[in-house]
Amino acid sequence: MAGEKWGMVIDVDKCVGCQACVVACQSENNIPINTEELYNQRRAVQWIRIERYWEGEFPNVKARFIPVLCQHCSDAPCEPVCPVFATYHNSEGLNVQVYNRCIGTRFCANNCPYHVRFFNFWEPSWPESLKNQLNPDVTIRSRGIMEKCTFCIQRIRRSTRDAKLEGRELEDGARELNPACVNACPTDTLVFGDLNDPESRVAKLTEKETGDHGRGYHLLEELGTEPNVLYLKKVDKDAKEGHA
Amino acid sequence: MQEHVQLDQKQINRELLNGVLQMPKWWPSATVIAFIIFITGLGAFGYMLNKGVGVTGLNRPVYWGFFMVNFVFWIGISHAGIMISAILRLTQAEWRRPVTRAAEVLTVFSLMAALMAAPLVHVGRPWRADLWVFPYDFARGIWINIRSPFIWDPSAVMTYLTASTLFVLVALLPDLAIIRDRSKGFTRAAYSVLCLGWRGTPRQWKLQAVAGILLSALVLPVFVSVHSIVSWDFAVQIGPEAWHSTIFAPYFIIGAIHSGVSAVATVMVLMVWLWGWKNYITPDHLDAIGRLLIVVATTWFFFFFLEWVFAIYSLEAPELAMRDLQVFQWPWSGLFVLFLLTAFFIPVPMWLFRNLRRSLWAMFISTILVNVGMWLERFLIIIPGTMRRGHMIFDWGSYHPSIIEILMVAMTFAWVVLGMLLFSKVFPLIPLFDVKEAMVGRDEIKIGRKTVPASIRE
Amino acid sequence: MDLTRRKFLTLVGGSAAGAVLFQACGVPEAELIVEAPVEMPEDMVTGIDNWYATLCPNCSSQEGIVVRVMEGRAKKVEGNVDYPINQGKHGVRCEAAVQGLYHPDRVSAPLVRLGARGEGRWEEISWTDAIARLAHSLGQIEDRSSIVLATEPVGGHLGKVVERFASHTGVRHMGYETLEETNLRTSMKQVYGLDDMPDFDIGNTGYLLTFGADFLSTWGSPIRYARAYGSFRQGADAVRGDDGTLYINLKRQRGTHVHVEPRLSTTAASADEWVYVNPGWEGHVALAIASVIVEQGLGDSAAAAAMTGNGAIDLSRYAPERIAAGAGVSAERLRKIAEDFAGHPPALAIGGGSAGAHSNGLANLNAIYSLNHLVGSVGKPGGVVPNPASPVRDVTGSPAASPYREWRGLVDDMRAGNVSALMVHRANPVYGMPDTAGFREALLGRGGGGFNVPLIVSFSGMMDDTSSLADLVLPENHGLEDWGDDVPNPGPGYQAFGLRQPVVRPFFEGRGVHLGTRNFGDVLMGVAQTMEVDLGLEGESFKDVLEAGVEGLFARDRGSVRAHDFRSFWNGVLQRGGWWDTTAAYSGPAPSPSQLETTPDAPATGSGQFALVPYPSIGITDGRGAHLPWLQAVSDPITTASWQTWVEINLARAEEMGIKEGDVLKLTASNGRSIEALAYPHPGISPDVVAVPMGQGHTGGGQYENGRGANVMSVLDTVEDASTGALAWAATRVNVAKTGGWTRVPRFENTAPDLATDEDQHIIKLTTKDS
Ligand SMILES: Nc1nc2c(c(=O)[nH]1)N[C@H]1C(S)=C(S)[C@@H](COP(=O)(O)OP(=O)(O)OC[C@H]3O[C@@H](n4cnc5c(=O)[nH]c(N)nc54)[C@H](O)[C@@H]3O)O[C@H]1N2
Ligand code: SF4
Ligand code: SF4
Ligand code: SF4
Ligand code: SF4
Ligand code: SF4
Repeated sequence: MAGEKWGMVIDVDKCVGCQACVVACQSENNIPINTEELYNQRRAVQWIRIERYWEGEFPNVKARFIPVLCQHCSDAPCEPVCPVFATYHNSEGLNVQVYNRCIGTRFCANNCPYHVRFFNFWEPSWPESLKNQLNPDVTIRSRGIMEKCTFCIQRIRRSTRDAKLEGRELEDGARELNPACVNACPTDTLVFGDLNDPESRVAKLTEKETGDHGRGYHLLEELGTEPNVLYLKKVDKDAKEGHA
Repeated sequence: MQEHVQLDQKQINRELLNGVLQMPKWWPSATVIAFIIFITGLGAFGYMLNKGVGVTGLNRPVYWGFFMVNFVFWIGISHAGIMISAILRLTQAEWRRPVTRAAEVLTVFSLMAALMAAPLVHVGRPWRADLWVFPYDFARGIWINIRSPFIWDPSAVMTYLTASTLFVLVALLPDLAIIRDRSKGFTRAAYSVLCLGWRGTPRQWKLQAVAGILLSALVLPVFVSVHSIVSWDFAVQIGPEAWHSTIFAPYFIIGAIHSGVSAVATVMVLMVWLWGWKNYITPDHLDAIGRLLIVVATTWFFFFFLEWVFAIYSLEAPELAMRDLQVFQWPWSGLFVLFLLTAFFIPVPMWLFRNLRRSLWAMFISTILVNVGMWLERFLIIIPGTMRRGHMIFDWGSYHPSIIEILMVAMTFAWVVLGMLLFSKVFPLIPLFDVKEAMVGRDEIKIGRKTVPASIRE
Repeated sequence: MDLTRRKFLTLVGGSAAGAVLFQACGVPEAELIVEAPVEMPEDMVTGIDNWYATLCPNCSSQEGIVVRVMEGRAKKVEGNVDYPINQGKHGVRCEAAVQGLYHPDRVSAPLVRLGARGEGRWEEISWTDAIARLAHSLGQIEDRSSIVLATEPVGGHLGKVVERFASHTGVRHMGYETLEETNLRTSMKQVYGLDDMPDFDIGNTGYLLTFGADFLSTWGSPIRYARAYGSFRQGADAVRGDDGTLYINLKRQRGTHVHVEPRLSTTAASADEWVYVNPGWEGHVALAIASVIVEQGLGDSAAAAAMTGNGAIDLSRYAPERIAAGAGVSAERLRKIAEDFAGHPPALAIGGGSAGAHSNGLANLNAIYSLNHLVGSVGKPGGVVPNPASPVRDVTGSPAASPYREWRGLVDDMRAGNVSALMVHRANPVYGMPDTAGFREALLGRGGGGFNVPLIVSFSGMMDDTSSLADLVLPENHGLEDWGDDVPNPGPGYQAFGLRQPVVRPFFEGRGVHLGTRNFGDVLMGVAQTMEVDLGLEGESFKDVLEAGVEGLFARDRGSVRAHDFRSFWNGVLQRGGWWDTTAAYSGPAPSPSQLETTPDAPATGSGQFALVPYPSIGITDGRGAHLPWLQAVSDPITTASWQTWVEINLARAEEMGIKEGDVLKLTASNGRSIEALAYPHPGISPDVVAVPMGQGHTGGGQYENGRGANVMSVLDTVEDASTGALAWAATRVNVAKTGGWTRVPRFENTAPDLATDEDQHIIKLTTKDS
């Protein structure tokens, strides 16, 4: 089991803002329905979200999209502030959330510079029949606790176990290993894999795209959180080249 | 320069025990009102326990709101006790004597209010917080995360609460004995137990005095640490960039002293008005505390100014956005002006005038204003700080407290008032022995041509 | 020592709390993982899951999906990696299929109306009774052609059953689509001579010029297009070579995309350049580009000659300088686009959506699609790839719907009492037809003592605006519990056939054979049988018909599944989710350029301050998905709003008009109809345009859709394309007024007054150079 370091590469140049990743995550991870009231209360939960930034004014206007999810920071600001180790770093590079330890201080959420941690303000609820859809591999979070993207740890676990039982190696990019958002994303904006495996797509992309000629960058790099999510710059022929 | 009103021991006993041995006319109604507010707040808390933190106005990303503001506010008020009792005792400021007890008791109750405001009602699963953090799930060898300021801060606050409670108890012993001697039946039996067999022997007096001094000295580090640590709840964070400030610890401490000492002045005026202790709390006392407040307030303002300088100096976009919100956007701008006026620009000029410093009304109003201002100060640091967190403008937020939060904030105020009222019914709010000691201390005898104190101080 | 902040805090924490008591250590990780037979985290239940391949029931593009089933319950939808259309990818709408399956408001048994129409009081009856009643009622009607069976455009074997039912019983079959594609289909025929939609090879094109079609979110086959768009941007996905080496981003030059649309749509935002065009002027723009290409001799001169009929059509009429003012696009910009388009082969022009929804819609599309002839991209990689005929005999992909003009004719027939029964299957004209058409009134109206239309029957498994008015409801199965198939249209450029299988047993199976839901094909076959009409189909049930069709595929003995016997073949097709043959490409006559049959005139519009651009929502589309909470909750990519109907309006213009976000605006068309919706000012829209998402404002649907927002389709003017009779749904103008009301716009974005901008590239970093 040990030895993996899960990571993701997000090519901003490919993202078309289609929201497929967002709904895939809702479905896979038993995220309660984001009702109108929740949006109005600003408590809607989207473990992965598409941020849209404006540039300029009509007619020289651009709207740009960027998917943001937990960056699984190697030096994660959310971790040291949690008084009960409900959020901690595991040996596979994941920032893990242990729901039943969480007491709901919201300290970690305050300290996450990426705003990817979501608090359960209410008890989650579904109409009886819709509960049939819930994923039995994922805990339903009660009110009062924090949640966020897990890199679909349940998929990592299940696929690792299945591979082990069947005596085979887990293949890079295997569908059963990939997080739900990655499988959904029609444009292949999101790529997931083991950064420690030099032959994996994420490792190859990281190698290719970091450095002077690459498009790689980390979100809010200046904070030194050392994310395991690498972004690739958007290509825009007319852009003024950004700093760093 | 102090007036010397010499009072005899009997008069002191009679006047200062008037609240305990008799029933002041206003006491029952005041207590009932405080109790009703407190119970209403408790009801709101129960409702929140039942429904979830959703009943507050908190949201993403404004995860901390009224409760946190209130927590910091009460921790600030709690600095009254140490400031008056420990610092002034160690620096031998004579005027402190009649107010030490009220200040210490205020400390104890406001610490409880603080604990009520943050760890108890603030977290998502209070039942879990209490059972997992205190005591913790040691069976699996997982300790609490001592890197988290949320472990530092309950530790500091609990230490402070323990020390302050001891302070109050030690100082109470002689007075409890007096009440024991003046009561009968069950009351007498109860006070006999409480005073731990105080007979006023020299050894007992000596031990009591030494304990007082020791506690003063030992509690000093706590004085520095409590509010430093509370400030680190914010300052260690990188999420809300506006909090990411190295000056927060001293800034918070001096702010705490500002609000704490002001609160003591408010209580002093109330003691004169409500119990009529004008013989003990004289314009001289108010004058002294007023002068102290000028120094404290000005130092605080200096830190406030520095904090702004540091914030603006870096020209970080989120920091500027947060300042812009505080100063230019309604209603924050209105609150900001109100904060500046109440925390500094109205009270401090008032204190510069001797007549106003010696006026009960002026001191009452000015010190109440200070605490309105200091409450707003915490509000303006915490809420806009989370609203304008970083570069990701897409996620900036807004916040309106819900009625539930307001009720629970009122509950903490009611709790402190209620606590003080109940205390005053059971124990004297002005330490009898300390006042007497001062009287004795002022007795002078002539030895030859020299006039010397009749007794030597400890 | 490398003292990171984290270490520092560790040390501070360690010393502060007393180094003796605590060791500043992390969590012993072993403690957090429950040791079980096979390493299991706390979060994991073991259980066997199966993934079954089937087709997505939520969109007409019917992507191939696999559904995760555990203990008889469908859990999760993912794309079928094998399926040629979407190749493993899926979108928001596919995902919500499971919510349709377990929707709390599903109809669980045949219903007969009690009380007034639309009152919502029903009585459950048994299937035997329901079918008998329907067959009896239909049998009573002398003039069978006065019976109308309205369905969504339905292809595959179900389409075959519907056709047989219509032709053998003599009922009139009409296809209904809210956003009809009549103009698009006609254009394919006129420009390329194709009956089916071709495939657009976006992934291999060098220069993509699109008009109106929001093909990355709702138009055409969006998942297929988006998948190709990824490679168009940054090359083919990682490929593992034979030696096991991984090659990533195998690509050519990064493609350039220019999108022409009156609204900044998801597609416009993703393009390298968004060109605002006045609504209805897309065809002029295309011809302006053509004129530059011809004038400068950049393109295929033979094609140019053919297209203009050797000069019969004077392209100089459309020279950039002449149309610039009308189209709202500068001449220089048009020239630049023309040069780039011709200069970066293979280039591809695509048009649709609002570009084809004007009085000159067909002419617009013809002009746009002719551009591909001009640069020689038809039938070439990176261009327009024609699709071969269906591999299954008698079965086609989904056909075109009946144009709006025909539907208006139906309204007249209904008013005249010439419609004796209306049967609807996944068609919701009560919702989709503009109020000016008067469909609802005609349907419910009473003439001569009784209803205009004496019998309304719905086969819908969910109540909707039309079904709720029905007299009889015969609920169909949900797509995930049903048999079915699809010949994708547009196809992938080669022969393909998708098979739908039930991935779970019908949810209402527990209600017994007499209640519950049924396959629509079975119901039609049952009704025909009771009416004693022989449909001439192979077998007793719809599944038999389907199997018979698949047997035909088996007989071809080629393609992705081959087997010795039919059972193995059948199972193979079920397993893979379909059958396809990548070598069976289009073999018909090569599309050749011909003279444009129509050229665009200036679009006809009503009067009003703003041009109204309705657009299908990314989640609920034209309203079909409005009952599904996940789709309601999808944040619109541009506004991040959801659950409501809002009005995109230019920020500066809104400020002038004193409009702020959330103000309830009244949009009134010159036909007098109006809707109320919430203002959402933003900088990305023209001051002359307001854009309103479609899909809300339902009556008679489920709990997540009723009484929510407003139906923008209802205010549309009845403007039709002169030649095809298609509804010109983007041709209405409206006046905008504040009502004084205010409602919060349920949006995901911040509630700060500050516009989310990132001019300093703190979040989205840009580079001019591709890596
Ligand atoms: N609804 C409902 N609830 C019930 C009952 C019911 O009939 N209906 N029955 C009740 C009764 S009688 C019982 S006994 C309980 C049973 O309740 P549980 O004890 O919770 O039973 P399981 O889920 O069978 O097992 C618990 C976990 O242990 C793991 N496990 C298996 N083998 C090992 C092992 O060797 N070591 C470790 N560490 N873990 C292992 C399993 O994978 C599983 O995740 O449920 C009670 N609750
Ligand atoms: S992105 Fe936020 S939640 Fe995720 S690891 Fe980093 S700090 Fe923690
Ligand atoms: S350096 Fe910053 S992000 Fe890292 S642990 Fe420290 S405070 Fe957190
Ligand atoms: S909310 Fe939960 S995970 Fe976050 S710091 Fe508090 S206890 Fe830890
Ligand atoms: S990795 Fe999994 S949990 Fe994280 S955003 Fe994607 S789908 Fe959601
Ligand atoms: S699914 Fe992919 S393309 Fe669509 S919004 Fe998510 S990351 Fe972007």
